[in-house]
Amino acid sequence: MREVAVIGVGQSTFGKFPDKTVVDLGREAVTAALRDAEMSPKNIQVAYTSRLYDVMVTGQSIFKEVGITSIEMVNVENACSGGATAFRGVLKEIADDRYDIGIAVGVESMTTSPIAGKLIPPSKDDLEGQLGLTMPGLFAILANRQMAQHGTTPEDFAMISVKNHHHGCLNPFAQYRKEITVEEVLASRMICDPITLLQCCPNTDGAAAAILCSMDVARQYTTKPVKVIGSALLSGDYKYLQEDMTLSRMGVKTAEAAYEMAGVGPEDIDVVELHDAFANEEILRYEELGLCKPGEGTRLVREKATWVGGKIPVSPSGGLLALGHPLSASGVRNIAEIVLHLRGQAGERQTPDAKVGLAHMLGGAVAGLEAGACAIHILAR
Amino acid sequence: MADKIPVREGTFIESPEGPILVANKCNSCGQIFFPKVSRCLTCTSDEMEELKLSRRGKLYAHTIGHMPSMHFKPPYAIGYVDMPEGVRIFAPLKLTDYTQVRIGMDMEVVIEKLWQEDDKEVIGYKFMPV
Repeated sequence: MREVAVIGVGQSTFGKFPDKTVVDLGREAVTAALRDAEMSPKNIQVAYTSRLYDVMVTGQSIFKEVGITSIEMVNVENACSGGATAFRGVLKEIADDRYDIGIAVGVESMTTSPIAGKLIPPSKDDLEGQLGLTMPGLFAILANRQMAQHGTTPEDFAMISVKNHHHGCLNPFAQYRKEITVEEVLASRMICDPITLLQCCPNTDGAAAAILCSMDVARQYTTKPVKVIGSALLSGDYKYLQEDMTLSRMGVKTAEAAYEMAGVGPEDIDVVELHDAFANEEILRYEELGLCKPGEGTRLVREKATWVGGKIPVSPSGGLLALGHPLSASGVRNIAEIVLHLRGQAGERQTPDAKVGLAHMLGGAVAGLEAGACAIHILAR
Repeated sequence: MADKIPVREGTFIESPEGPILVANKCNSCGQIFFPKVSRCLTCTSDEMEELKLSRRGKLYAHTIGHMPSMHFKPPYAIGYVDMPEGVRIFAPLKLTDYTQVRIGMDMEVVIEKLWQEDDKEVIGYKFMPV
């Protein structure tokens, strides 16, 4: 397997843009990534695109706009892990020596999608979804279990939202750039007890792109390539639902695989971006990623260890909660954020001297299984 | 009388003692599944045996929903119930008082109308505090 580097990243501004099409958003991100890599579109040899709610062959329509045609193009869907899956697709193409340079783009226009302003609807054969299990419902059930089992409080959950909104203020691309307080979070509309509105990620339109290449090629473009040292993608199992639901079996397994491939452990990670669709979810992820022992994630919140400037900053971008969550875009976007920190280009939210960073995504509900897909990438400079 | 259809065929039966949920168990590794599966999701064996569950279990965790789900208007309660046979079941909860629900409560299965679908009543299981 060849070493692979990321040499260009870019994203559109995240927010609500009902007048922009998926192609508009995708073009913004792809153009930004090409500019970042100082690369001509004619050098791109393979392209993976991820989206949930759009027409067929979205990628071809996006890439045509920047002059990329007549190369291998693949369109993928893996719920919220779709972007990370597209990234991994390009990674494998280059690691396996099929191509030298490729691009991954994730894009979503939530405001023009059929689910704009609604919950993601369950499919007909999703029995649990039909019986009333929604995404906020599931995470609210887990939140109640976290409170009973680990002594976490609604104030602890709210503090995560406060943190990520603070981080959003430091990111010019974020959908929400406004400080909020624990009191405001707790007083916002109740969605599923104890999860309030300000503990839920918003509906967001946006896109992100990343250009990957073999290490040999990377050195022609930059003296500071960011290496992809770990990559893992796994689906969920049934056993999780029968055991301790505050500890993600698929998360633990995916993290173990990514750490093993990277040859690093959780103690080596300097900065993390993760799937914080709901505030309480962030604590679950601390534990499965090994940032602390199982059941001890609340301590990291109370110690403010995961704030920008803390011991291990988590979601310095603002995360899904404040930066926003265009479903298929988030998996590429959070890798792009890690790249900026490893290059020392993350501005006010920069993690000092970041050497190794981790990007986590989770997506998809499947009745009888933990979830659809967990993706973890570890990058290093 | 309106036609009644089960939310999912084969998930429950009526008995003289009351409604019973029907799971199945893998004869090879012992994992229990509700709803039933044709092949074990843990060890892939297809030697599955039907298993009638107890009528009571303990609440593992729950929430009260305050925005509509596909078929339920708020407020509604949902949760997971641990059955003594060793299987955890997701179900709507039937509560008379939303402030009285606690993790670890004893819950009992009931069968009732869940929602209306055209001219049919969709019937299914819920758990209610004992």
